[in-house]
Amino acid sequence: MEVREINIHLKRNLTKWQKFLRFNGIEVFSEKETSSIDKTFVWEENGEILATGSIAGNVLKYIAICSKVQGHGETFNSLVSKLENEAAMMGRFHLFVFTKPQYSQSFKYVGFHELAKVKQGTVLESGTPDIHDYISSLPNFNDQKESKIAGIVMNANPFTNGHRYLVETASKENDHVYVFVVSEDVSIFSFSERFKLVKAGVADLPNVIVVPGKEYMVSYATFPAYFLKDDQNVGRFQASLDATLFKEQIAKPLNITSRYLGNEPYSKTTNIYNEELNRVLPPDVEVKIIDRKKNKDQDIISATKVRAAIANDNIELVKKYVPDTTLEFIKNNWSELQTRIKEGSIK
Amino acid sequence: MDIKKTALAGTLESSDIQITLSQGNNGINIDLDSSVEELYGNQIRKVITDTLTAYGIDNANVKAVDKGALDCVIKARTMAAAQRALDTADQPDWEVF
Repeated sequence: MEVREINIHLKRNLTKWQKFLRFNGIEVFSEKETSSIDKTFVWEENGEILATGSIAGNVLKYIAICSKVQGHGETFNSLVSKLENEAAMMGRFHLFVFTKPQYSQSFKYVGFHELAKVKQGTVLESGTPDIHDYISSLPNFNDQKESKIAGIVMNANPFTNGHRYLVETASKENDHVYVFVVSEDVSIFSFSERFKLVKAGVADLPNVIVVPGKEYMVSYATFPAYFLKDDQNVGRFQASLDATLFKEQIAKPLNITSRYLGNEPYSKTTNIYNEELNRVLPPDVEVKIIDRKKNKDQDIISATKVRAAIANDNIELVKKYVPDTTLEFIKNNWSELQTRIKEGSIK
Repeated sequence: MDIKKTALAGTLESSDIQITLSQGNNGINIDLDSSVEELYGNQIRKVITDTLTAYGIDNANVKAVDKGALDCVIKARTMAAAQRALDTADQPDWEVF
């Protein structure tokens, strides 16, 4: 078998590659799943694809080996090796795999560790730095084991009075609070901006610690799900995987016994997410759903509304939703932010 | 000597070992994954540690996924990873050979 890299953004290659994957039970090729692919490799014999694997950021995906390949295990090992070496050349040493539960063992055999497993799928990681490095990089307290500790996960795009209210509530009801800020840069405000604004916005609460969520608190919308069948509920799968990861890998070692969320009057996706947290986290981690904060005009505060107000050039409206720390940043970057919103992302 | 960047060498194929080296600050820490850990774990760790020490590396986090590699292979892969991690891949340290 010979291995070579193919460009799946060429129609001819794409068709052949998809045909092979379909034949091996992978049927989802949505734009969301394929556009993130950086490199695709195929193992061929006489021009016929017998195995394939791809690298998308720090995720290995679309891995399949034809059942007629002899020495299935060996091929799998050299395939994962190839992908890991290629990723290393791109400076990526910390990789993830999302796959069906029955393939978990094969990945474990080549040094992957399972982070979370649910009925429909599992997520594993390999390389460095890993979850243990992450947990030990977080600040902890002398009285960690005896304390009442809460966790909040937020994107804070940007940090509003609503976020502030949620953190404040948790701060009052607990000894310590970890605020995890989603690290992924897919929002209008960059991670470092969001992180800075969260820190500034809670600086006066001494028992609150703001930390990056790194790869472990992924915005669940970006979890790969290409290996699921069309009829399975992708959102529910991703949410339960995320919730399980939080419970097993984050809450347990940090002794977090409750997680605070804002209720979600608008978004069906977020509601499903909250439902899954409620199903997975208790009794180990209590779920506290806090009603959304309203401003003086009885208007529910949301980061979406802040971004809309920026887009509509309405600074007076922005003022009604955000604390001074966030307001100052927005003022100073007014035209830059408007450009970003217009273009739909950070450049 | 200090590790400048994370580096990987080796494969996951039978009789090979995959070594990933990254910065550490607490001596040489080896996270070994091997099906022959019980029999040869200590020997594998010793070869890796000795090789790194020969490069003057005192602090490193090592991830090793072993697939039944012989000592000479373990040494070779550790050396390759070390040279890459020290950013000296084009200046092999002949003393260590």
